[in-house]
Amino acid sequence: MLRQNHALFDVISRLLTGNNGRRILGLAICALSLFALAPSLACADEPLFGFSYTTDLLPKGKFELEQWSTTRFHKNPGGKFWLQENRTEEEYGFKDNLQLALYQTYDSTSAYHNGPFGATTPPEQFSYYNPGPNDRFQATRFIGVSGEAIYRIWSPYIHRVGFAVYEEPTFGAGFIESESKLIFQKNYRDDRLVLAANLTYAPEWRRLADPTTRKVGIQEETDANIDLAASYRFMRNWSAAFEIFNEREFNSYYFTHESNSGYYLGPTVHYGGRNFFVTANFDEQMPWASRHVDTVPGGIVGGRIVDNDFEQYRVRVKFGWYF
Amino acid sequence: MQARLIFLPLAGIAIAGGPAYASVYLSVEQAQAILFPGATFQQDSRTLTDEQVKAIEHASGVHVLTRQLKVWRASTGGWFIVDEVVGKHEYIPFALALDERGAVKGIEILEYREAYGGQIRDPEWQKQFLGKDAGTKLQLERNVRNISGATLSCKHITDGIERLLTTYELVLRQPSH
Repeated sequence: MLRQNHALFDVISRLLTGNNGRRILGLAICALSLFALAPSLACADEPLFGFSYTTDLLPKGKFELEQWSTTRFHKNPGGKFWLQENRTEEEYGFKDNLQLALYQTYDSTSAYHNGPFGATTPPEQFSYYNPGPNDRFQATRFIGVSGEAIYRIWSPYIHRVGFAVYEEPTFGAGFIESESKLIFQKNYRDDRLVLAANLTYAPEWRRLADPTTRKVGIQEETDANIDLAASYRFMRNWSAAFEIFNEREFNSYYFTHESNSGYYLGPTVHYGGRNFFVTANFDEQMPWASRHVDTVPGGIVGGRIVDNDFEQYRVRVKFGWYF
Repeated sequence: MQARLIFLPLAGIAIAGGPAYASVYLSVEQAQAILFPGATFQQDSRTLTDEQVKAIEHASGVHVLTRQLKVWRASTGGWFIVDEVVGKHEYIPFALALDERGAVKGIEILEYREAYGGQIRDPEWQKQFLGKDAGTKLQLERNVRNISGATLSCKHITDGIERLLTTYELVLRQPSH
């Protein structure tokens, strides 16, 4: 089965990096693959989106196991880039309005002539390595362990707007991140139409060696994102969604020294049932990037950022099982 | 293609996939026997017109899911209605019994297919609807108690009953053509 999925994904990725007609065909194959697999799946539940969060939480005392796969690919034309992020998560409804989770992340990557000026540039999770500009870089790494807490203050089923706060600390080798979110949700049409907005602030502390001096220092960086998403349940168990994100990076903790600002958008399909869900999302970076005070020279190609935390395409699949 | 940790979720799907199932609690006939013991029933189903749909939605504030009204008259007096509301992923079929005056006489959940929220079958929770009629605007957490962990189901059943009480007032109570 793994080999079949690998082959399927290989075909899809080739189609997506081709011309527009082939891209659309690739998207159609993505959707059809999911539909074809679904009848054997049985049951399911949230999340409705690939990247955006809603205020829906597990009921008190309930467990959920989730497996995420996020594949990020393609940067510089002519170069090669692939990052596979994997996340295994256990969620628990501590109270009806407080959900806790623990997860681990483990990634692998392949990069060649993918970054600014066509230099081989590892993705951010692998920035501890310093390959030469013409090296073929490949690595697999355990990234870290994360905790996650979501506290719902207003429920969209009772109040006019749902509102929750989110905190997620991550600890890895030479790396700490604190990701905070404000989550908003508004439902319409018997709660079948769900609108969500997330504001994210995520400062990172990363111990890195300077590639030339070899001196080790702390890299200050903050990710600040705005996510907007809409989902509609178009038939029993099935929802279709659209997400748009603005992901910004700052070389400070206070929104100064902005380095990058990328825009992504794309569709999501979600199947949810009684004990099981699957969510599949595809996003493309739009050619809307512009230079900022700390943008790396050569970091924008064809209007898209090719720096180490950005890619042109990404596919996320989430699978979850309730207990 | 290099070796990658790819598409683990889909592998998981293949391993974990199993048959779907639903909890069917009562048939229509069983619900009729519980809500109107000893009665016989005459089907009196209707199809709502555009104007009736608009009037019901305006008065109840609840979206009408289907124009087809599945209604029976009980020989002992009163109405038996089968309807459904939106659940988290599936629809929740339920039966509502109204007495001769159009007040709630009983509720039965016929089928429940969701992971959570099955507590709406609790008779203690359902008891709060008894005697309510179209003159009372039903609203979760205002005059209908919520069940933590079953909020969506509580809200939609409350809305469904509100919609059917309004439907009785605007459609069933009127003399039929």
